[in-house]
Amino acid sequence: MRYIFLFFLPWAIVHAQPERATLSGYVRDASNGEALIGATVFVPASGAGTVANAYGFYSLTLARGIYQVRFSFVGYTDVVCEVDLSRNTRLDIELTASSTQLDEVVISSKEEEAAIRSIQMSVNRLNAATIARMPAFLGEADIIKSIQQLPGVSTVGEGASGYNVRGGSVGQNLIVLDEAAVYNPSHLLGFFSVFNPDAIKDVQLYKGGIPARYGGRLASILDVRMKEGNSKQFEANGGIGTIFSRLTVEGPLVPGKASFILAARRSYIDVLARPFVDVLRDGARLNFYDLTAKLNYRLNEHNNLFLSGYAGRDIFFFDRQQGFSWGNATGTLRWNSIIGNRLFSNVSLIFSKYDYALQFGEDERDNFKWNSSVTDFTVKPSLSYFINSQNEISAGVEAHYYQFDPARATGTTNGETVNISLDRKYNLETSFYVSHQLQVSRHTSAEYGLRYSIFQGFGPGRVYQYNDTIPGIRRQPVSFTDYAKGVELVRYATPEPRISLKYEFNPRSSVKASFMRMAQYLHLISNTAASNPLDVWAPSSQNIKPQLGTQVAMGYFRTLGQEKSYELSAEVYYRSTRNQVDYIDGADLLINEYLEGDLLSGRGRAYGMELYMQKKTGRLTGWVSYTLARTELKVNGINNGSWYPTRFDQTHNFKATAFYQINNRWSASANFTFLSGTPTTFPTSRYVIQDILIPHNAANTRNNVRIPPFHRLDVSFRLEGRSQRKNGKTRKNTDYWVFGVYNLYARKNPFSVYFSQADDRAASGAPLQSRATQLSIIGTLVPSVSYNFHF
Amino acid sequence: MRISALVILTGLLVITACETVVFPTLPEAEPQLVVDAWVNNKEEPQFIKLSFTQPYFQNTLPPPVSGATVTISGSDGSLYLFAESDTLAGTYVWVPAPGERLGTTGVLYTLTVAALGEIFTATTRMGRVPTIDSITFRVEEGNQFIDDLYLAEFWAIDPPEPGDTYWIKTWKNGTLLNKPSEINLAYDAGFSRGSNFNGVNFIAPIRRGINPFDQDEQGRFLSPYIPGDSVYVELHSLSEASFDFLTQVVLQTDRPGGFGELFAIPLSNVSSNIQNTNPNGTKPLGFFNVAAVSGRGRKFASLDDVSNLN
Repeated sequence: MRYIFLFFLPWAIVHAQPERATLSGYVRDASNGEALIGATVFVPASGAGTVANAYGFYSLTLARGIYQVRFSFVGYTDVVCEVDLSRNTRLDIELTASSTQLDEVVISSKEEEAAIRSIQMSVNRLNAATIARMPAFLGEADIIKSIQQLPGVSTVGEGASGYNVRGGSVGQNLIVLDEAAVYNPSHLLGFFSVFNPDAIKDVQLYKGGIPARYGGRLASILDVRMKEGNSKQFEANGGIGTIFSRLTVEGPLVPGKASFILAARRSYIDVLARPFVDVLRDGARLNFYDLTAKLNYRLNEHNNLFLSGYAGRDIFFFDRQQGFSWGNATGTLRWNSIIGNRLFSNVSLIFSKYDYALQFGEDERDNFKWNSSVTDFTVKPSLSYFINSQNEISAGVEAHYYQFDPARATGTTNGETVNISLDRKYNLETSFYVSHQLQVSRHTSAEYGLRYSIFQGFGPGRVYQYNDTIPGIRRQPVSFTDYAKGVELVRYATPEPRISLKYEFNPRSSVKASFMRMAQYLHLISNTAASNPLDVWAPSSQNIKPQLGTQVAMGYFRTLGQEKSYELSAEVYYRSTRNQVDYIDGADLLINEYLEGDLLSGRGRAYGMELYMQKKTGRLTGWVSYTLARTELKVNGINNGSWYPTRFDQTHNFKATAFYQINNRWSASANFTFLSGTPTTFPTSRYVIQDILIPHNAANTRNNVRIPPFHRLDVSFRLEGRSQRKNGKTRKNTDYWVFGVYNLYARKNPFSVYFSQADDRAASGAPLQSRATQLSIIGTLVPSVSYNFHF
Repeated sequence: MRISALVILTGLLVITACETVVFPTLPEAEPQLVVDAWVNNKEEPQFIKLSFTQPYFQNTLPPPVSGATVTISGSDGSLYLFAESDTLAGTYVWVPAPGERLGTTGVLYTLTVAALGEIFTATTRMGRVPTIDSITFRVEEGNQFIDDLYLAEFWAIDPPEPGDTYWIKTWKNGTLLNKPSEINLAYDAGFSRGSNFNGVNFIAPIRRGINPFDQDEQGRFLSPYIPGDSVYVELHSLSEASFDFLTQVVLQTDRPGGFGELFAIPLSNVSSNIQNTNPNGTKPLGFFNVAAVSGRGRKFASLDDVSNLN
C-alpha cells in the first residue's frame, strides 16, 4: 500500500495553480434524455478537452476567461456554446441526433476522433442501433454474437456460449450489466445471449490497457449499459421474431425528474406448439425469458439515483417432475453525486446471482434434485476528481462478498434419500484502486494506476490436502482440516499496476501503448468444448491459486479521408498468464467433493496483431477486421508438458460487417466471417478392450491437427414502414420488417470432428468398424423474418 | 432422462445439426502392445488377449501377439498359467479344473506377460459384489412421439463400506449389450466417488441401465424388451483404477453426436495399469482386472410381469 503516496504527488502540484474556474454538467440526448456516454467536450482555442463519463457527466477546469466550447457525440449534431468562465459554471447540454433518416448507422465525424484522442486503447464499442442492424442468427439481434465481429475476439465455434478475447478462455471475461457481474450470459445453451437489445444503450469491450477501476478477470471486460428510459415522453418498442417476442416500454414518471424502462422478451415456440404436442399440455415446459428494468430519479441538480435490474431464466422440463432450468438475477442501485463541480462520486450496491436447478425421477421413490448457485453482493464507492483539463484522478473500492453453493443435492433411491450436498464456500474480494490521467503536453498523455486486490476465504469449511502424484493423474485426498465459522481459510493479495501512454502526432494520428496486470480469483470449471449451464464457478482456495495475467499492447490509430470518414487501427499484443486451470483426463467436475484433486495448473501465452478499419460516413458504412493470433497453454500432465494451442486458437480471423442504405425505406447489411480451423486432437491408432474400440494418440499430443476453416456470409434487409398515412399525415407509429439469411451459401462449417465406432452392436470375434464424423452445428442456410414496431 | 425428452429437445431445434463421415489423413504411429486382461471368478475358461495397436481406419481384427508367456499369481500363493489358444492367435486361455475358480475377494493379483522380448506386469485387487435380488419390468407409457416402452430393472444393494466399484453387464436374449453407450458403471450405488451413494439400492439410472435403446429403420425407438425376451444381468467388481479406466473409455467412445458435441471433452488417451518392467522399454496399453461376479436372469413372459401396469 505504500505506492499510494506516489499518487498524491500530482495532487499537491495541481493545487498550487492560478485562478481557475470549472465548467461542468451532463451531456444528454435531446429526444429522450439519455446520458451520452463518451460525448466529447472540446475547447478548440486551447486544445483542452474532456469526455463525459459513464453517466454523461463532464468537468473541465480552465483558466478564467471566455471560451467557445464544442460538445459533440457520434451521430449527433455538434453544439458550440460561448461560455463566460469567470466563475464555476454548470452547463447541461442536450444534443440532437444528426439525421432522422440515417441516424442509426451513418455517423457524423465532425467531432474530434475519439479513437485518436482518447488514451484508451484496445477497446471496441457498439451501440444498440448498430447491433440491431447487424444480420443475426434467426434474426435475433444479439450482443454477444455481435462482439464476435470485432478484432481479437474468437469463439470455439457456432452455437457455443461466450467468446474468447486475445487468447483468454470464456471464464476470463467479465460481463457486467449496469456494473452487476453476469455469471452465465447464455440462453438456450449459448445460441442467444441474455441481454435484450431493446433495453441496452451501449456495449464496450476492453481487451487491453484496462483501467484500474476494472478487475477480477484476466482477459476482458464487457461493459453493458442499460438505457435509462425516455425522460421526455412515453414510447413503446416491440417485435416478433423467430425466437423471441419482445416488448419495451419507457417514459417519464415525474417529468424532468424520474423515468423508467421496462423490457421483456420471451420465446414463444412452446405456445405455438401447445395445441399439437400433448406433453406440453401435460406439464412439459420449454421456454426462456428475460426482464430488464431501470428506474432513475434526479434528486436534485447534484444527485441522481439509478435502480436497475435483470431477471431471466431458461426452463426445460420434459414433464411435470423432470427437467432443468437456469438463470441470472441482478440488481444495481447507484447514487451519483456531484460535489462542488469537480468531484464526481458514485456509490453502487450490487447484487448478482446465477443458479441452476436440475431434477430427475418420475416418482418420490427414485429421484435426484440438484441446485447450484453463485451469489455476489458488491459495494463499490468511487470518486473522480477533475483537477483541471490536464489532470483527473479517480479512486475507489470494490468489495465483493461471494457465496458459492456448488451443490444442494439429494438423491433418493428406492425410497432412501441420500444428501449429497457439498459445503458452501464464502469469500471476500476487496480491491482498492487509484488512477491518475494526465495530459503531459499537447501531444502526450498518460494514465497510470494501481489496483490492489485481496481475496479471502472464510469458514465454516473443510479443506483437503492432496497427495503429489504424476502430473495428469488424479490426486487423492490424504488429510483434511475443518475450519470454524468466520475463520480465514486462505488469503491472496495482488498488486495490479496499469499504465497507458498516448502520443498524438496530430489530430489524425496517434500511437498508444499499455501495460496491465490482472488477477482472477474465480474460476469457471469447464472441460467441454463449449461452456454449458452446469459449469460451476470455483473460488481460489488453498489448492487453487489465483490466475494472474500480464498484457502489453501497442497500437497505431489514424483517420483518413477528407471528412475523416475512415478510422484505422493496428494493434499488437503479448499476453502471459499463470495458474491457468486445466483438467486431468476423466475429470469429474460435477458434485465432486474432491474436485480440486482433478484440476491441473499451467501457464498460458498469447500474442497477435489486430487490424481494423471502419468507414463511418456515406451510404455504405461498416468495418473490416483482421486478427493474426496464437494462443497456447503449457500444463504439466497434458501434451507431455509442452506448449499446445488452445481449442479456440485461430491463426487468421477475418471479419467484415457492412451496412448499405438503398433508399428511404430499404437498407441492407451483411456479415462475412473467415476463421482458420480450430485445433483438435486426432488419434493415430486404435485398439480393442472388451469389445470396445478405443482411439489412441501414440504421441499423446493435444490439439495436434486443425479442422477445416470456417467461413460464412449473412445478409439482412430492413424495410421501414411508411412514414406517412395515405392522407399524407405523418404516422405517429413506425414499424419495420427485417428479412435475413444466416449462412447464405449454406456452407457446412465444421464445429468438430469426432471419432467413434460404428453404431451396430459388435458381434463377438468380428472386427470393429471405426469412423470419423465431421459435425456442423448449423449445416444449412437459416432464413428469418421479424416484425418490429415503435409508438 | 426419458426418451421423450430427447425427442422434444431435438424437435425444438428445427434447424438440425449436420454430420458428414470424413476420412482425414492421420499421422502414422508405431504399433504398441495391447493387453486385454479382464478375468473373473466364474467357473469357466478365462481369456487374455494380446494384440498390437493398428492404424485408426484399419477396420480389421487387431494384429495378434503370439508366443507370449502369460501368468496370474495371487498374494494368497495361487498361480494361473494361460496358454495360447491353438485356434485363436494372441488369445491366451486358462481352463479351470472342475470346481476351480480364478479369484478370491480381497486377494492382490499380479499379471505377468513376457512378450516381444520384454516383461510387462500389472496388479489389481479383486473387489466384492452384492447379489442381485431381483429383476422387474416396468412400462413407460408412450406419447404421440413414441410407443409404450417396457424396461427391465435390476435390484441389488451396495454393501455398507464405501469404495466398491462395478461394471454391470447385460445380455438380451443371449447377446451382450456392448455398445459404448451401454457401458453401465457404478461407484458404490451411484455414478461417481463424489456422489456419495453408499450402502443403498443402486440409483434408478443404473438399475435401468440394462435396457438397449435401438431404433427401427424409421428412427422410432423400439421397446427395449417385449414379451418373450430374456434379460441376464451380471455385476462385475472393479478395482478403483479399472473404474477410472472405464469411465475414461466411456467419455472417449460414447460420443453424443449432434449438438451434444458442443459439450464434448477433448480426445485424450485412456489410462493403463500395464507396466513395462524396464522403464526405458516400450509402452504397453490395456488393462488388467480380476472381477467377482454375481448374476441373475429373467424372462419377460407376458405383460403380467410388468410391475407398474395398472
